[in-house]
Amino acid sequence: MLKVLIVDDSLVIRAKMKGYIKKLGHSVIGEAKDGQDAVLMNKQLSPDLITMDVSMPIMNGLEALKKIMETSNMEETNIIMITANGQDGIVKDALKSGAKGYILKPISEEKLQDSIGKIFPQYCIEDNDFLDENDLNEMLS
Amino acid sequence: MEKKIEVVHTYTKDVLLPIIKRVKSYMETEMKIDIFNVSEIAYPKNIHLKKNTIMLGTSGSIKLIITLGYDDILLNKLVEMFVDGDDVDDYESEEVRNSVACEISNTIIGNAIDNPIDNSDIYITPPVLVSEAKTLYKDKFSKFVFVTFATKYGDVQLTAVGPKEQFEEELDFKEI
Repeated sequence: MLKVLIVDDSLVIRAKMKGYIKKLGHSVIGEAKDGQDAVLMNKQLSPDLITMDVSMPIMNGLEALKKIMETSNMEETNIIMITANGQDGIVKDALKSGAKGYILKPISEEKLQDSIGKIFPQYCIEDNDFLDENDLNEMLS
Repeated sequence: MEKKIEVVHTYTKDVLLPIIKRVKSYMETEMKIDIFNVSEIAYPKNIHLKKNTIMLGTSGSIKLIITLGYDDILLNKLVEMFVDGDDVDDYESEEVRNSVACEISNTIIGNAIDNPIDNSDIYITPPVLVSEAKTLYKDKFSKFVFVTFATKYGDVQLTAVGPKEQFEEELDFKEI
């Protein structure tokens, strides 16, 4: 189970993310509304994963990402950037600065699951992990 | 004799049409709300904003203020669709409405914004809510572009405001 910090200024996105993360079997250990809070909460909580919105007031997600990476082990810090703006330069800047992935809004449980699976292969759910109707019938017969 | 107005918009399709298309596709695909009419692009001298209007700015080589306004009943429907299954009970309904309006507007503009001038990145400000209806009056140095999308729950109103020369010289968005 991953300990996740959600960073987003939008309350409805925080609520949505929280629901998805819980459904995927992980735990939300904190919520930050801007980049400045995210930097502080990362130090206090040491999450396994941070989901970070790019466009936020006070300190945006790209600045917060860079601040966190300055003081953390880049290999062990796992940040997924969330953005509506999929322009090449913004995404490249995030990945170059240490983000392990990004999700283009609108967010969905599938997109989040896919991004988590790329960083943590142990949480990657392959199709063949699910039993289909034929498998169940075979087991029951 | 009536003055003939011809609208030349070579780059319009690269800046505004993606936004217009994204409003339509977002409403229809993500929110399951049909858009049954999209108005012609208009260039009014003033604009009366709807009560629920979200404003975003772009920076970089394209400088625009973009607003998306929603009729009350339509926004209620959008909130219902957006938060379906999410736990938002701890928040005031007005906070949730504003947050949904901001989030939808941010996603539409963020997904659609493109830069046909020099391909450099365009940054978008966090969305802000204009809480009460206001009228915007055009200055001689500015230009308004206005489009309305009709749904059975009410309208979405899209406005882009920018420096006149940007529309006319860089975006080639000229009335002759």
